[in-house]
Amino acid sequence: MDSLAIILQQLVNGLTLGSVYGLIAIGYTMVYGIIGMINFAHGDLYMVSAYLTAIFLALLSFFGIDSLPVVLFLTLLGTMAITGVYGWVIERVAYRPLRNSTRLAPLISAIGISFVLQEYVRINQGSNDQGIPALLFGAVRVPVGNDFFQITYSQILIIVVSLLGMGLLTYVIQKTELGRQCRATQMDRKMSGILGIHTDRIISTVFVIGAAMGAVAGVLVTLNYGSFNFSSGFIIGIKAFTAAVLGGIGSLPGAMLGGIVLGMAESLFSGLVNTDYKDVFAFGLLVTVMIFKPSGLLGKPAVEKV
Amino acid sequence: MHKSIKISALAVVTAGSLIAGSAMAEIKIGVAGPHTGPYAAFGMQLWKGASQAAKDINAAGGINGEMIVLVKGDDRCEPKEAVSVANRMADQDGVAAVVGHFCSSSSIPASVVYDEAGVFMITPASTNPTVTDRGLPGVFRACGRDDQQGIVAGEYIVNTLKAKSVAIIHDKDTYGQGLADATKNTLNGLGVTEVLYEGLTRGEKDFNALVTKIKSTKAEVVYFGGLHSEAGPLVRQMREQGLTALFISGDGIVSQDFVTAAGGASFVEGVLMTFGADPTSYPAGAEAVASFKASGYEPEGYTMYSYTAMQVVAAAMNGAKSNDGMKAAAWLHANGNIATAMGSKSFDSKGDLTVSDYVMYEWKDGNYAEK
Amino acid sequence: MNIKHSFLDAFVAAILATIVFGPIMGIVLDGYSFNLDVPRVAIIVGIIFVGRFVFQLTISTQGGRDFFQQFEKGRAGSIEVTDPGIKTVLAKAIPFIMLAAAILPFFIGKYWITILILAYIYILLGLGLNIVVGLAGLLDLGFVAFYAIGAYGLALGSEYLGIGFWIALPMSAILAASFGAILGFPVLRMHGDYLAIVTLGFGEIIRLVLNNWSAFTHGPNGASAPPATLFNLEFKRTAAEGYTPFHEFFNIDYNSTHRYIFIYLLVLIAVAFALRLKHRLVKMPIGRAWEALRENEIACRSLGMNHVTIKLSAFMMGAAIAGVAGVFFAAKDGFVNPASFSFIESALILAIVVLGGLGSTVGVVIAALLVILIPEVMREFSEYRYLVFGLLMVIMMIIRPRGLITIKRDRKFSTKGEGAVVETKQGEGAA
Repeated sequence: MDSLAIILQQLVNGLTLGSVYGLIAIGYTMVYGIIGMINFAHGDLYMVSAYLTAIFLALLSFFGIDSLPVVLFLTLLGTMAITGVYGWVIERVAYRPLRNSTRLAPLISAIGISFVLQEYVRINQGSNDQGIPALLFGAVRVPVGNDFFQITYSQILIIVVSLLGMGLLTYVIQKTELGRQCRATQMDRKMSGILGIHTDRIISTVFVIGAAMGAVAGVLVTLNYGSFNFSSGFIIGIKAFTAAVLGGIGSLPGAMLGGIVLGMAESLFSGLVNTDYKDVFAFGLLVTVMIFKPSGLLGKPAVEKV
Repeated sequence: MHKSIKISALAVVTAGSLIAGSAMAEIKIGVAGPHTGPYAAFGMQLWKGASQAAKDINAAGGINGEMIVLVKGDDRCEPKEAVSVANRMADQDGVAAVVGHFCSSSSIPASVVYDEAGVFMITPASTNPTVTDRGLPGVFRACGRDDQQGIVAGEYIVNTLKAKSVAIIHDKDTYGQGLADATKNTLNGLGVTEVLYEGLTRGEKDFNALVTKIKSTKAEVVYFGGLHSEAGPLVRQMREQGLTALFISGDGIVSQDFVTAAGGASFVEGVLMTFGADPTSYPAGAEAVASFKASGYEPEGYTMYSYTAMQVVAAAMNGAKSNDGMKAAAWLHANGNIATAMGSKSFDSKGDLTVSDYVMYEWKDGNYAEK
Repeated sequence: MNIKHSFLDAFVAAILATIVFGPIMGIVLDGYSFNLDVPRVAIIVGIIFVGRFVFQLTISTQGGRDFFQQFEKGRAGSIEVTDPGIKTVLAKAIPFIMLAAAILPFFIGKYWITILILAYIYILLGLGLNIVVGLAGLLDLGFVAFYAIGAYGLALGSEYLGIGFWIALPMSAILAASFGAILGFPVLRMHGDYLAIVTLGFGEIIRLVLNNWSAFTHGPNGASAPPATLFNLEFKRTAAEGYTPFHEFFNIDYNSTHRYIFIYLLVLIAVAFALRLKHRLVKMPIGRAWEALRENEIACRSLGMNHVTIKLSAFMMGAAIAGVAGVFFAAKDGFVNPASFSFIESALILAIVVLGGLGSTVGVVIAALLVILIPEVMREFSEYRYLVFGLLMVIMMIIRPRGLITIKRDRKFSTKGEGAVVETKQGEGAA
């Protein structure tokens, strides 16, 4: 294979993987930004959304709806909605009672929720790998020299939908009333409360948005890779969390950038150096960035108040 | 604690409801494996096979006149849990023999515990050579070894396929890497050097970067040592990137879940794998296979191995005329030709089967058949 | 009593429950199609409806409100201050508890001995992490790395250097502490959660290297570790060349339980030692410095305290204890494998520290026993044990977010206002 084609192909692979990391990283970064908590159960919400995707696809085909765009749209919408409800319920049940206690309590609660979600899905859906049939076939092939690199339609879908989702979310946060309330709550929860913002509701909203973005990733990944099981949220969750920190936790563009940087780094290192040490490189990169830029690529440096 | 023992006794009785109403003496036999956790699908195969065998043996009079009661031990394929389970079975439940474990990384530490306690252990599925190579007298294996499997795969690649460039991928786990190493050694011995030897991370789904790399090496054959959860997405992404190289793997993908994990039968078309000669095809096991199918269960993967392992336990104890694990082990080392549902079996001094029966299978239309 | 309100509230809860549980519980995937299982959704929705209704009714009465209010107290952020020189009942009971623990293994079976050994190992780990997180306020999510270094120190040390258990014990502690220093030095200028993720990365790197570097560590095959010996007496049926088996030396029958009783007693001594160490440390200048740094780093630095050495010493001390725990773990199983040192272990150790109550020694001991014993006791419920375990973690945090035992502090001098409560930022600094 032409070496240029290989590098271009690896960049495409990295971009796809990175977009997925970025989408999931949004959930971590928004929740962290607003209540300063690492939501360890987020990766498992992504896993739940993968199951919901397959359930919706199965239901829709059962009811005889087979127009692909309609199926995809309904699945995306339904999965986002239900995963959003999951996010809301988990926040309400497991995190809100801990709002004013130590900062480690919600972390442990989140680890507990992570166990619960995995086991709940395993007990109900079984431990076998589940999957969906391949829906999108084909790819765009770009010739390079006497070789080519390709980007499949589902990869295009992943990249486009992630970018659209990111754009939409950035618009909501920057330009709308809801977004302004979110930002205000993030800056100073007490003051926002005094100024009449229903902060509990805003925090719930953030959990719903984070879960819904995770659901987008769940739908896209399931469409692209086809299979999942009840423990598949774990590794991708840790990676997405790494991406969020790499980009600067609390920063929305940072999550996306961190995701893409991480995806690219993994892809290029795996492709050009060694797959065995891919994850060592990813975590090594994180540690290095943290040492030289302790608040991540786009994070605001923490101001020490004296 | 007193209460918990009561509950456990209750659980045992429920588990052993197959022997309902028997007032005879009982012999406890453990079935250890991943009954929960990511590999629970295999744990179920072990459990189904062992339960059916226990039922059939009990119907034929049990072991030395005692009825088999099964004890379920869940190790989640985690070494730490495997040791706990082993201690529990050996000490608290007082089992005479254990059928299990599934993962090699569980069988190895657990076998030490069984050895100390004088419990007879036979694994229906752990293929890593180390399980028996340490020379523990009470440890047996009812399946083949990775090195035997690797020889079959390696020779097939070189002699039958005449492939010159082979990429070897593994999942960095005891089973997967052991199998990949065995195949690699065979290939190297036959004068073929692999073009790529790398490990992917278990639990991940995106192997596109690795696939592109395989593509750049122009490999004709991709050999994968690992389980279906990773094999499925890997083969799918190979096909999606237009890589048509032949995909060969081992007994870790012997499950319909492989098709599901790959996203459809079209992706696994033509995939080859090594596995013991069809465990359901032996005339001696026809009855057992029929009773599985009658209960609506397809005896796939390790089900029949587990069934056979239980038969070996019974045969050894009946042969030794003792329910003592070590006496049964000594008898089994000394005597061969045990009649089982998978033909006549003999064990060598290490506890391995004397005859390895690995053959090549091919996936077609979402099912596998001997090639 | 407001029945209508309660009913509406319960109705909303039931609808949410239907949305949450409906698809996953009611529609079970089977290949590319599905099977319906409506009854179990109906049951769980029914339970939630009734439960919520009863709950709402209860808290609409005065008695019910009082009942639930008593849980609220546990959430108040405070450290109790006691007068100096008072010996609590617990302090008096410690010798008896220790004695009871020491003779316990002679009365219980091997199975329970091994479970208790594991629990004690987790007590050690919890105490080690407690120094880092509880006292010094540095959130470490990769603590399992030091545990792994200790365990592999024994396994690989005996393989390549021929050392035994007793040399590995101090050596692994030193090795783990050095790794603590290597990691600690560059990352300690980071704060809170950034430190958390970097330590998580470090923990994963150690595990991956152990897994990938097959030539040295045997990768996923794991390495075998030598058992502990008593003055060169081995606890085996037949000893290796040059060693005498314990049972032959004392002319008793071989019993494999002896080996576990021996390790049990060793771990118990190690736990006692670690408890004593922690007890002394918090009263020494270095312990005070850790806590001061946790409460207010800037103030400490203005007072001329060297924050780097203080943090580093906490890191190394914690790492050394984890290293010792690792040696015991390897000696107990006789086998180490990278799978035993995954991120989940770090999370469990952290859970022990937080469930026990940050900084509290007794809390860590109780929590470690609970975290190890609960899943074992629940083996009877095999299918559901991790589900229940997760639920218990959440419920524990909601009822007692500060952990089982909140720490008490000796007042320097007796003052007026018995039982005064001081506000604290503890935990705030830790996260």
